[in-house]
Amino acid sequence: MAGLAATFGSGAMTNSINEMDEAELFFVIGSNTTEQHPLIGSRVINAVERGARLIVVDPRDIPLARYAHMHLRQNIGTDVAVLNGLMNIIIEEGLYDREYVETRTEGFDELKRTVNRYTPRVVEQISGVRAEDLVLVAREYARTGKAMLLYAMGITQHTTGTDNVKTCANLAMLTGHVGRPSTGVNPLRGQNNVQGACDMGGLPVVYTGYQKVGDDPVIQKFKDAWGVGDLDTAPGLTITTMMEAADKGELKALYVMGENPYLSDPDSKHIERALSNLDLLVVQDIFLSETAALADVVLPAACFAEKTGTYTNTERRVQLAYKAIDPPGSARADWEIIQDVCTRAGYPMEYAGPSEIMEEINRVTPSYAGITYPRLETGYGLSWPCPNEEHPGTTYLHKDRFSKGLGTFLPCEFKPMAEPPDTEYNFILTTGRMYFQFHTGTMSRRVGILEREAPEPLVEINPEDARKLGIRDRDLVEITSRRGTVKIKAEVTARVPRKVVFSTFHFHEGPINLLTVSAHDPVSGIPEYKGCAVKIRRCA
Amino acid sequence: MKRIRKDSLKEVLKEWAAERTVIAPRRTERGECIYDTFDEESFTLDIAKPSSPPKRSLFPQSEVIFQVEQDGYRQVVSGNPTLIFGIRPCDHKGLLQSQSFMSQDLDDPYSRVKSEKTLTVVMACPGSMSPTCFCTTTKSGPWAESGFDIQLYDDGDAFLVEIGSERGSGLVSSNRFEDIDEARANEKIRTFQREAVSLIPVIPEVEDAMERLEVSNQSSDEVWENFGKKCITCGGCSFVCPTCTCFTVSDRVVAAGTGDRIRSWDSCLYAGFTKEASGHNPRRTAALRIKRRHEHKLLYHKDRDHYGGLCTCVGCGRCSDYCPVHIGLIEVAQAICSAQDGTGEEKRYSGGVS
Repeated sequence: MAGLAATFGSGAMTNSINEMDEAELFFVIGSNTTEQHPLIGSRVINAVERGARLIVVDPRDIPLARYAHMHLRQNIGTDVAVLNGLMNIIIEEGLYDREYVETRTEGFDELKRTVNRYTPRVVEQISGVRAEDLVLVAREYARTGKAMLLYAMGITQHTTGTDNVKTCANLAMLTGHVGRPSTGVNPLRGQNNVQGACDMGGLPVVYTGYQKVGDDPVIQKFKDAWGVGDLDTAPGLTITTMMEAADKGELKALYVMGENPYLSDPDSKHIERALSNLDLLVVQDIFLSETAALADVVLPAACFAEKTGTYTNTERRVQLAYKAIDPPGSARADWEIIQDVCTRAGYPMEYAGPSEIMEEINRVTPSYAGITYPRLETGYGLSWPCPNEEHPGTTYLHKDRFSKGLGTFLPCEFKPMAEPPDTEYNFILTTGRMYFQFHTGTMSRRVGILEREAPEPLVEINPEDARKLGIRDRDLVEITSRRGTVKIKAEVTARVPRKVVFSTFHFHEGPINLLTVSAHDPVSGIPEYKGCAVKIRRCA
Repeated sequence: MKRIRKDSLKEVLKEWAAERTVIAPRRTERGECIYDTFDEESFTLDIAKPSSPPKRSLFPQSEVIFQVEQDGYRQVVSGNPTLIFGIRPCDHKGLLQSQSFMSQDLDDPYSRVKSEKTLTVVMACPGSMSPTCFCTTTKSGPWAESGFDIQLYDDGDAFLVEIGSERGSGLVSSNRFEDIDEARANEKIRTFQREAVSLIPVIPEVEDAMERLEVSNQSSDEVWENFGKKCITCGGCSFVCPTCTCFTVSDRVVAAGTGDRIRSWDSCLYAGFTKEASGHNPRRTAALRIKRRHEHKLLYHKDRDHYGGLCTCVGCGRCSDYCPVHIGLIEVAQAICSAQDGTGEEKRYSGGVS
């Protein structure tokens, strides 16, 4: 989010899903697309079958790699080096889009100076990607007109997450692959409405539609809209810094909605300590999650089928979903709970329903101004920016000019991961999700068929490493980091490279975030889920 | 023979609905056609090919089959008098074949009771309802031959009404149904049928693929590997298939000592469907599971009545319509044939008369 906002002026998928059907090349980095975005993954597969080219950059041998014309398996945490290496070749060989760079961007000289040092040989040493392969990929991406870059958590969940995103954006701008159909920098969002949550200001530094909390006109606008005399102009905290503040006793109360940080945040022991240090923990969720079990107050919420409202998907499309059944027991829609809490706290809210809330969103959010309920009730949603009720919505961003004017190259240097492996903790643990479970399993683990398909946590280990450690498939192994130990079964598979183990954070029986490191990106606050040092042994 | 004017159909449906639940085509606000409880307002005759077959009327997506209480359990067999209006012949054959499968060795009271209480009004097709229709290949359309209560043939501003059962004659007793000359009506129906058949392309690869599977059972592994590599395991093909009846059974605790046993749709494309208690899975790869599914449609159906169909695919084409990566029966049959022809090329079916 932060990386794209700095470069282009807005943080979201620049292009749209249907444009994939016309793309000539896909550059997929840090996205297990077929497992995490299966319908988008299907578009990519169909495109390859009709002749599109596919470049996958991922340390793991993900299912989509079976369709890739080239699969670069970089060392974990070396994305900036790989991407800088590609730009080095593209500039060196004169393959960049000169006219685009001159008319649409700024900061090219600094970019050139930085990537100059990332020659193919240097990058090979850092990333393990062969120099020859890097050259081939650079040429192909630069020379193809309709090239879409897709990324997901493999790019963002690093201490260099923001740098990784900026570097993806640099590469796309350098080659003129932004602001045109079937191109762009396309972050695939990991949840059905995480784009909507960000759009609605569920970030510490912005109001709705990415209006900054510190900007005077913005402050005035929201003061007027809400009829309040004063608004806090200081940015809030990210989740990782909230937990640090709670741990230190500086944060006293936490209100968690639809999130299970006890399992999903890094370094669980630290999270448990932080949460227990609070004076008040309120959890609003549809089930009694592990975090809700620790709460002082639990507010039962309605699930998707029990409430009306909109979701904004990964391509910025706002879609309306209707309530189908009544919530059980005392559960209520989130907006009703929030409204009552606010009213009792001394700020009366009297929305008649979600459509009235949307009317307020329309009033205060320029990019959502034309996305009204009457329009959403017919058709299949509207993609922002949609500045007025006549506007059809926007399929791709930054046509002719970037949201901020010129696109800014923000060159980044390669920085190693926060906790590289050493002689004792000699493996890298990287984490993610699998096809049949979702996040901490609060919902998916209650579904019989999903539980049957993926009943237990497994840790993937390369056959060669397994042989050396005497580990056979499905043996119980002990994985230890500086923060804790987890015992789970091994899956011996060449899907992971040597010296890397992979596991998921879905299972409370094998809570992998006991092991992960809370080191996080300095700007976005995203923790480095994609890499920390561990050791592994077979349980006797 | 009887005929019913289209403009009096709603009145007839209302009469029928007074005595039973009527499931009929409805146009949704977004323009899709779905089968749901009859609603005068949204009722439509522009059925084309609805996205889902009507199988859930006999085999619901999820259904309580036992209720467990403190000291015992009680079987729950539910079925209300129902009439399904406007079923396409392929889907109708799907209902018959599914019922035949469900009752082949043991009685399945859950679907049987619903089936016994369900009347079917079939709407014969005047031609292809979409480019993926191939019922003339699978001998499951474009009209139903038996097993229905009444069947309607479009005749301009009216439908000709063919009666298929005694219960069917009961349905047309109202004076809204006019008597017409039998010979003349039969002639019209024959013309309708002749034209319909001529408009629906035959896909010879389907029968060809069946023979190849039968004779050699040596469909190239590569064919299945290619599909297995692509499959995203969504299970959608099973859920839209009129003849897929795989289910799983799970228990839901309602409160201490009480609970429900539920059966719900499942798919043989999920690894867990065939995984054994030991962890061994005889269909361990997506390729083997896709092969198995298509063998069940094209090969393993000889031991039961499939009501004159070619096989247990009824040619509705929905798997080809909805699979996100184009693993439909048409594509599979064509791949089996072309792989063994040595062309090695996997073709995509795009409609048109072959």
